[in-house]
Amino acid sequence: MGLELHELKGGEGHPLLLVHALFGSSADWAEAPAAWPGAVCALDMSGHGRSDWVRGGAYYPELLAADIDAALAHVGPVCLAGAGFGAYASLLVAGARHDLVRGVLLLPGTGLAGGGPQPDFATPSGRPDELAADTRGPFDPMVRTLERDVRPPEFAVAVARPIRRILLLEDGDPRPPWWEAVRALPASEHIEGDVRSALLHLRAATSIV
Amino acid sequence: MDMTEPTFPGAIPPERRRSVRSHSLTLNLLEWGDPGTPPLLLCHGMWDHAHSFSVLAPLLAERFHVLALDARGHGDSDWAHAYTWLADLGDIVAVLRSLGRPAQLVGHSKGGGQTTEAACIVPELVTKLVNIDGFGPPPMPNPYDRAPAELARLFDLRRGLSRRDTWRPYSSLDQLVERRRSQNPRLSREWLRYFSFHGAREEADGWRWKSDPHMAHGYGPWRPEWIGPRYAALRCPMLAIVGSETDTWGPLPEPILAERLAFVPDLERRVVAGAGHFVHIERPAETAALILDFLEQ
Repeated sequence: MGLELHELKGGEGHPLLLVHALFGSSADWAEAPAAWPGAVCALDMSGHGRSDWVRGGAYYPELLAADIDAALAHVGPVCLAGAGFGAYASLLVAGARHDLVRGVLLLPGTGLAGGGPQPDFATPSGRPDELAADTRGPFDPMVRTLERDVRPPEFAVAVARPIRRILLLEDGDPRPPWWEAVRALPASEHIEGDVRSALLHLRAATSIV
Repeated sequence: MDMTEPTFPGAIPPERRRSVRSHSLTLNLLEWGDPGTPPLLLCHGMWDHAHSFSVLAPLLAERFHVLALDARGHGDSDWAHAYTWLADLGDIVAVLRSLGRPAQLVGHSKGGGQTTEAACIVPELVTKLVNIDGFGPPPMPNPYDRAPAELARLFDLRRGLSRRDTWRPYSSLDQLVERRRSQNPRLSREWLRYFSFHGAREEADGWRWKSDPHMAHGYGPWRPEWIGPRYAALRCPMLAIVGSETDTWGPLPEPILAERLAFVPDLERRVVAGAGHFVHIERPAETAALILDFLEQ
């Protein structure tokens, strides 16, 4: 299983790891690196960009979070910034590896809500066979299952509780229940503006004086 | 080592094999009975394999074309890079679709839970459903308390994946048998020898289970409380079978089981006296009679 981790720029100070949204890739971070003084890396998660597709098509959030964790194993202690689905996956990593993640920035984007806060019992689990496709595209069609996984707010809060700093960039779009619940934690701070200013804020919030 | 296939009373080797592709994996199926008769698909539980139906399947094959699936990561089906409940459902749906006509579905344990959900997803491909003690685990207290630690454990396992984790080898088939028997002493050594012969293979350094050890860990926010309400989407009759005896894996306490089964729109229930979780192995003739009676009503 091969994962593509791109160093977008070098630099001094603790590094930043960027995590793309659902259907996205490491190429999505045009203006972000300049706002960070340290090294900036961007990951292609499984099924996306130039990383391998998951053999058998079994995608789940914790599996792609494990991709981010694999990047941590290379880069060392970092700040994390993730968009959309990547924000949710980054939250999982920041909670499980709170000793390695100094702070996490959650950004809006595709795949933020997943399948909602609780199962939709009226609609069976979907028809997984209909996602099958062998054509090579910019992402594995099976990553669409990440639009269906249930994301209970209580789970997100339990995961997020050990995290030292959580910044949530809000653009006025509707936010899923897990986001609202995480936003209410003492370590959380919500901000407005663009990605560049959010990264400057993350830098200030996590720098050791 | 001279290792001929062990025998077990009533166990009949499959008459044919076939394979079905699902999401780039090749899945193995064993077959008994006349392909001209209506199809009946058997789905096994966690760490089992299609040969675990070698006694039940021939009894059902008197009336049906019986196919037993090796789930991905089990038996002689391919290993995947990762495992989810939804992906397993996709495999069952792919097999049902390959049959070209609606089938009877019979599942045990995890296979029972998955055949039930598959019947909800593709009601047009399922005639009737039999679930043998596949109604999930009991509710968990404070299920998310350990979420960060459990995620860290999953990440540690995935970091280790490049080392290609495998089971430790056992020096003999009999050691596999004893290992399995320590988990469930209700199953006879004679049966476990047959079961383990087909569920393991002999390699240079000993016997190893064929199943993928990476299926072992759970993850994510799933809760047992979500099992029952799913049953409300069933559109075919369900026969729910459990044994009367409590053992390592089942059955659920009756109040919990009854609460979940109350969601099934068209339900029959049977209890097999003197059987534990492996009802179809401990009481194959009785189990087959219940299934045939239900399917032919």
